Amino acid sequence: MNDMQWAPAGSEPVPPPLPPMRVDFTGNRTEFRKMVTKGAMLELITFGFYRFWLVTDIRRHLWSNTAVDGDAAEYTGRAKELLVGFLFALAILVPIYLAYFLVGIEFERWQGFASMPLFISFYAFGQFAIFRARRYRLTRTVWRGVRFWMDGSGWAYSFRAMLWGLLVFLTLGLALPWREASLERYKMQHTHFGDLQGDFEGNGWEFFKRGWWLWLLSPIAMIIIPLAPFFYAEFKAREWRWWLNGIRIGDVSLSSDLPHNAFYGLYWKMVGWWVLLTTLFGLYIGGATLLVVKVSGVPAEQVFGPGHAAKSIPMLVMMVIGYFALALAMNIIMRVYLQRDLWAKVLETVEVHNIGAASDVRASGELASALGEGFADGLDVAGF
Amino acid sequence: MSDVTAEPDLGTKPGQPAIFFDGLSSRRRQVVLTLGDALEIAELSDGQAGPTVTRWAYDEIRRADSPAGILRLTARSAPPLARLEIRDAAFSVDLVARCLRLDEHQTTRRGIAKIVGWSVAAAVSIVCVVLFGVPLAADRLAPLVPKPIERRIGDASEVQVKTIFRGGSCNDPAGQAAFGKLVNRLRDAAGLDDDAMTAGVLRTSVPNAFALPGGKVFVLSGLLDKAESPDELAGILAHELGHLRHHDNMRGLIYNGGTSFLIGLLFGDVTGSSAVIFASRSVVEASYSREAETAADTFAIETMHALGRSPKPAAELMFRITGKEGGSSFATILASHPLTEDRLARMTKEDRPASGPPLLTYTEWQALKGVCGSGKI
Repeated sequence: MNDMQWAPAGSEPVPPPLPPMRVDFTGNRTEFRKMVTKGAMLELITFGFYRFWLVTDIRRHLWSNTAVDGDAAEYTGRAKELLVGFLFALAILVPIYLAYFLVGIEFERWQGFASMPLFISFYAFGQFAIFRARRYRLTRTVWRGVRFWMDGSGWAYSFRAMLWGLLVFLTLGLALPWREASLERYKMQHTHFGDLQGDFEGNGWEFFKRGWWLWLLSPIAMIIIPLAPFFYAEFKAREWRWWLNGIRIGDVSLSSDLPHNAFYGLYWKMVGWWVLLTTLFGLYIGGATLLVVKVSGVPAEQVFGPGHAAKSIPMLVMMVIGYFALALAMNIIMRVYLQRDLWAKVLETVEVHNIGAASDVRASGELASALGEGFADGLDVAGF
Repeated sequence: MSDVTAEPDLGTKPGQPAIFFDGLSSRRRQVVLTLGDALEIAELSDGQAGPTVTRWAYDEIRRADSPAGILRLTARSAPPLARLEIRDAAFSVDLVARCLRLDEHQTTRRGIAKIVGWSVAAAVSIVCVVLFGVPLAADRLAPLVPKPIERRIGDASEVQVKTIFRGGSCNDPAGQAAFGKLVNRLRDAAGLDDDAMTAGVLRTSVPNAFALPGGKVFVLSGLLDKAESPDELAGILAHELGHLRHHDNMRGLIYNGGTSFLIGLLFGDVTGSSAVIFASRSVVEASYSREAETAADTFAIETMHALGRSPKPAAELMFRITGKEGGSSFATILASHPLTEDRLARMTKEDRPASGPPLLTYTEWQALKGVCGSGKI
């Protein structure tokens, strides 16, 4: 053991503890925007199958432009893995859906809408999928030639998530900080970078102190809708900051001074774009109706009247095209603001302490399959 | 000229400094690179190039993701996470020129074209299955569904229906007896041998009637209130029996389940696609069940003729309830029933003077009208 400790020290002097350092994000925004625009269009003409490639490209871009201590990370996952994982997940989910359907009939026969509890089992499965999807992403995350990896059990995690979920439900959301702390602790303690083990030092009480008044005021946001984005932005910023401050990997720790109003701009830009796009969509539909009326020479009320089914077909086609254009634009905007910009905004506040502890980490850990991401995709759940 | 002088330089002088991660530890190694027969990587210690750590053959070198300004390489023969980082632009160009298979593993334009091609093929195949395969399967499978299963599905939906129409069922004994008589006469005339068939009146103001799998026919009291003669009600009941006879529920269930599953599969999770799924499904579904409705109408016409009664009053009742249909062109495409005016025209064509006895006596009809008691909703 002594030998191993002395070997590096002999060749170069032990460096003094490094001062806290910032994380650099060097991603080019225009490049990202072009990538997601192209990706969204391909997604459209491939009926969504391109999403595996687009998601992979987005991660590769974000990861490889994020540098800690001068060395950029790398995402080594590939779209084909995601596609295969999705197909496998389908093969497993389809019989489960069928069984669910049959069991549902039995339950309904017994009492109307008694099959609701079955939804809960799907929720549990969703939690499992979230854990396994995280494991997939982490094992594809490489820094300095060493990968992150995870152990722990997806079902154990799901069990915890369910129990905490019940508590949150019973306390009308007040237990949420403790739920997040507990689940994060589980995830981080089973996270490793080479032979360094992760940990999470944030606790529920701390998070509670930062956000309890948001919980109290949330009914106001439900009544005065324009306030809702503020509330959500406020909550998200507090959550991120608390989360980042709690992260430990070996002796390396993170801290963040993310201001509480950091996301106001992002969410309001989203709202602005949404209003703009839906207005444009409305104008487009109005224009299309006018055009159909002019071309077909039928008064407007008769375009939608009886006996003109054939004439409404062009209208239908124009509406579908408009809808797709709207979905496409929203897709691009969401990815640019809520993925890229949010990533950059959060990273610029992060400081890494004692990075020296990660300067000679032995690689270990196995690759995990993309099945978890497939489940998450199939069940439409997301989370990190 | 400069080439001539540069060549020996590469051989003798320590080459290009770079950073190397061996993929086994996170240690950042300062190395020097030499471009020989293969790329030679030697560790730098005390400013001197040490012995060669490893050699990477040029055609095994692949590019790895990196930020702008850094060339990051890996090699197939090396540990999978071994990385070499070069920051010198000129040297990078020189090295890239030698690595002929550097970008072989990246997705190219052709790769994207392949993805598009396969996706379109998958989509076409799913659309074909939705248009031809699922209806065929539904037609073939629906009559094969065993009675007990059909009955169970019926039981389950009955509970649901009763939860939706909270009024509960109407059970005035005389009215029920009259209703039973009417249903039995229709059943015998139609040749339905389902002994487990049940029928009932539910208390709600919605004017409608429907059949559930497993031989359950329900009339909503709203319809009963609007009906002016036994024949009107009988025609509608015969129509519902037609659905039972043709296994339309089971067929619809198989068809809807299959279609929504396949279309959901096709669109995956493209944002907001559920709206598209809903729209496309209801269009296909409607045109599908319109055929079923027309067939049920035919069945109703035949049954009423067998009883020696005219089918026309039922159509008149429908017309009275819905009025002239086709308010908008969307309703025209999407309506699951043929338009009432078309049905009225058809039933009028089939109108014949009554040759059989009335289906219910006057007192029976009054009892049936009062099956839900006097309290109207």
